[in-house]
Amino acid sequence: MIAAMETIQTELAAVVGDSAVSADPAACRAYAVDAREPKLVVAPHSAEQVAEVLKCAAARDLAVIPARNGTKLGIGDPPRRYDLALALKSLNRVWHYEPADLTVTVEPGMKLGDFQRFLSPDGLWLPLDPRGDAQASIGGTLAANAAGPLRARYGAPRDMVLGMKIATADGQIIKTGGRVVKNVAGYDLGKLLVGSFGTLGVIVEASFKLYTRPKARATFVLSLEGLEVARNLRRSIVGSPLDPLRMALLDRAAADWASERGELPSSAGASAPFEFWLEAGGAEKVLARHSCELEARAKEAGTRMESPQGADRAWGRIADFGRLAAENLPDSVILRVSLPLDLSEEFLARALHETNVRAVVSQPGTGVVSLVLSAEGASDAATAVAKIRNLAGALAGVLVVEHCRPELKPQLDVWGRPGSDFEIMRKLKAAWDPKGILSPGRFLGGI
Amino acid sequence: MELPSAISTGQQSSRPSPVAQKLIGVVGAEAVLWRPEDRMLYEYDGLSSRRAPDAVVFPTCTEDVVEVVKVSRSENVPVIARGAGTGLSGGAVVTEGGIVVSFARMKKILEIDIPNQRARVQPGVVNLDLSLAVSDAGFYFVPDPSSQKACTIGGNVAENSGGPHTLAYGVTTNHVLGLEMVLADGQVIRTGAKVWERPGYDLTGFIVGSEGTLGLVTQITVRLTRKPEAVKTLLAIYDRVLDATRTVAAITAAGITPAALEMMDGFTLRAIEEATHAGYPTDSAAVLLIEVEGLREAVEEEADAIEVICRHHDAREVRRARSDEERELLWRGRKNAFGALGRISPNYYVQDGVIPRTRLPEMLEFIGAVGEKHGLLIGNIFHAGDGNLHPLLFFDARDAKQTEKVLAAASEIMARCSEMGGSITGEHGVGIEKNELMPLIFSRDDLDMMRRLKDVFNPGGFFNPGKVLPTGKMCGELRIQLGGGA
Repeated sequence: MIAAMETIQTELAAVVGDSAVSADPAACRAYAVDAREPKLVVAPHSAEQVAEVLKCAAARDLAVIPARNGTKLGIGDPPRRYDLALALKSLNRVWHYEPADLTVTVEPGMKLGDFQRFLSPDGLWLPLDPRGDAQASIGGTLAANAAGPLRARYGAPRDMVLGMKIATADGQIIKTGGRVVKNVAGYDLGKLLVGSFGTLGVIVEASFKLYTRPKARATFVLSLEGLEVARNLRRSIVGSPLDPLRMALLDRAAADWASERGELPSSAGASAPFEFWLEAGGAEKVLARHSCELEARAKEAGTRMESPQGADRAWGRIADFGRLAAENLPDSVILRVSLPLDLSEEFLARALHETNVRAVVSQPGTGVVSLVLSAEGASDAATAVAKIRNLAGALAGVLVVEHCRPELKPQLDVWGRPGSDFEIMRKLKAAWDPKGILSPGRFLGGI
Repeated sequence: MELPSAISTGQQSSRPSPVAQKLIGVVGAEAVLWRPEDRMLYEYDGLSSRRAPDAVVFPTCTEDVVEVVKVSRSENVPVIARGAGTGLSGGAVVTEGGIVVSFARMKKILEIDIPNQRARVQPGVVNLDLSLAVSDAGFYFVPDPSSQKACTIGGNVAENSGGPHTLAYGVTTNHVLGLEMVLADGQVIRTGAKVWERPGYDLTGFIVGSEGTLGLVTQITVRLTRKPEAVKTLLAIYDRVLDATRTVAAITAAGITPAALEMMDGFTLRAIEEATHAGYPTDSAAVLLIEVEGLREAVEEEADAIEVICRHHDAREVRRARSDEERELLWRGRKNAFGALGRISPNYYVQDGVIPRTRLPEMLEFIGAVGEKHGLLIGNIFHAGDGNLHPLLFFDARDAKQTEKVLAAASEIMARCSEMGGSITGEHGVGIEKNELMPLIFSRDDLDMMRRLKDVFNPGGFFNPGKVLPTGKMCGELRIQLGGGA
């Protein structure tokens, strides 16, 4: 076995160069997925090398997991097998940047923070605040279709991709879509790749439409005594002409943590008061209008409104709540629940009542709620997750276990039960990756 | 859509074919057309015609659709879905016989959920009817193809339709969250969800825009969008086309994304004005129809900024609609343009291509040169804001030579779009019109993967055969029969 791996290492080195393949234990540990380590880390320098590596992996039947910074690698079931970590850090170039056309093509290893810095001199940005925030890579953000509170205003990665190049499991590079902002030529393969968690192919290049960064931004924070007030406030904003960039609702613990006033609690205790965060953007007049109308609503609710300076850092923590909470509290169980827009507060009220929740961050604009549960043992965790999944299901919501200790994953049913469309998904997976070498076992239904 | 009587007089009609008989057996005689004179009406769509279907069936529910699919399998004939037949790429045209499934009787709005900003509809619901149904609550459905008074949401899903107002808010795929679809084996699946995040492959996103080749969509969950507080509509009038196209790039560069940014050239304007009296200046070279919407404060500032940009680029005049009626009038001209242009010549061919928006000036020049070279009249109506061109090529279909020239000119324009890094279709679809042009922008490997994925859904090729992917018979050329129907 060891000898075989050495042969493979030589083979891969011929593709990417000696220094870009490593069997070093420390290097392999850095790419561990659910405590499972790869045998080799390969870091190709180009799309063509990615395709060559995959061709070699397919020939040798090696399981491959693509990764950059690993901000989303914790999500999903443990891999059924894992031989090669496909490190995409060297694919971080920008092609075809056309600021006047508001389009750009970028490689998957580019970090979102670096990308925004690249765009910002032209007043442009990619309006995404996914898990991982500035540390998230373009490739990972696409693979997870990861979107944060900004989704309510701007959409998700799926809505911003114009086209992509994909290295397939059999070592080809194929193209889908294009670089123009409107295009209906052919099947939209990109839609399948976005959100596929590395199970269909490896995105080696993606073209995006870009957006103009708001001229100015301002954050407003209202302290609220309970979820009913929060619901009324959200309804009155969503039902008004106000046009926030993003909104968040945090329980006291999460609010203290987001503003760096305190740590996340290690025991249950999600409680009031809640904080309602709203960021507005645009011309000064637009910010003034938001300020004025929110102030009036605060008064109505008998509470104060603040407008903290330098809120970007807190928004980054809010967007990255699920991951940072997992880092701080590795033994906790973290859930992400997507609900119909008008039902997130009702869901939260029930969840807080029935289970031990440590902290909550919800996105009133998208209906997505993140919960940190404290769960003592495995059966405790399983019971709590099942209970919350039922609560969510009764409200047409969908629950994903974003984090728990790897050994708990099989019992907690990370992705939930697949639906009537699963058979087609399974066949699509087989069409893309007949040998099942890409992130095997990690996604819905064991795909 | 009016349904011709199934028990019409036609003496020449013989008996229903075996396929029609089977269909009558599962959905009833009143839901099947089989007489030649009735089937003939389903030969064409907004682009072209080829041949009549073997039968036309009008299901009223998902179960009917399942039965129809089963009949098609047992009889080994294709199934072609049809909405209102307004498509412009031949998506509903019958290529090799089979059953046309008209969704004219599946036109119920099943659910309107304003608090959660969703609606669930059957595919036959007319696009505009959904917006009207939620208008009092202050909402609308964003995609607004010019045919929105007639076209169906099922058709919009098939074609991933756009429209003038999709510049800021996205096309159909950005507004559809879930589907119910009948597969080739008669199984019914549900994709997506009412909520934003559901794990699994985004089948909804893959099916939207697949032109009826993957299955029959029987229910659609869409997102409803709140109507803006304020709307400002401007008409900028130019003496030179170049100034208008440069304005488009300048507006984008200034960081303004209008809700709509349309361009019409002088030739087209004059024709529209004659027919609709929208108040367009007939002596100008081009106009831009620009709309900004949103918060009152934002809209005023943007409208002012746009006016400055227009004037800076030598707009002769910039008008602002002062009332809803004035706005309505400005848009009426644009939305009825295609009808109005029918007065110019016996036939015209609407093309649909996309280029990077900064290259509009050189593209317009190129189109002008192509027209001159072939001695053809070409008008231009663009969704300029997103670089989506609609050159209109005027001709007389009775003149075979002229028709040939039109196809040659259109092919040249498509090739140029591709060379500029653009696309051969922005919103009308590939259909039977452009499937042989697909190799202009996709490699054999790209197309092979598309074929492989299509086969997952549609293994025997029962659904809408001969569409989207090249047949390999004639590469890189437009080869449709123009002026057959529309």
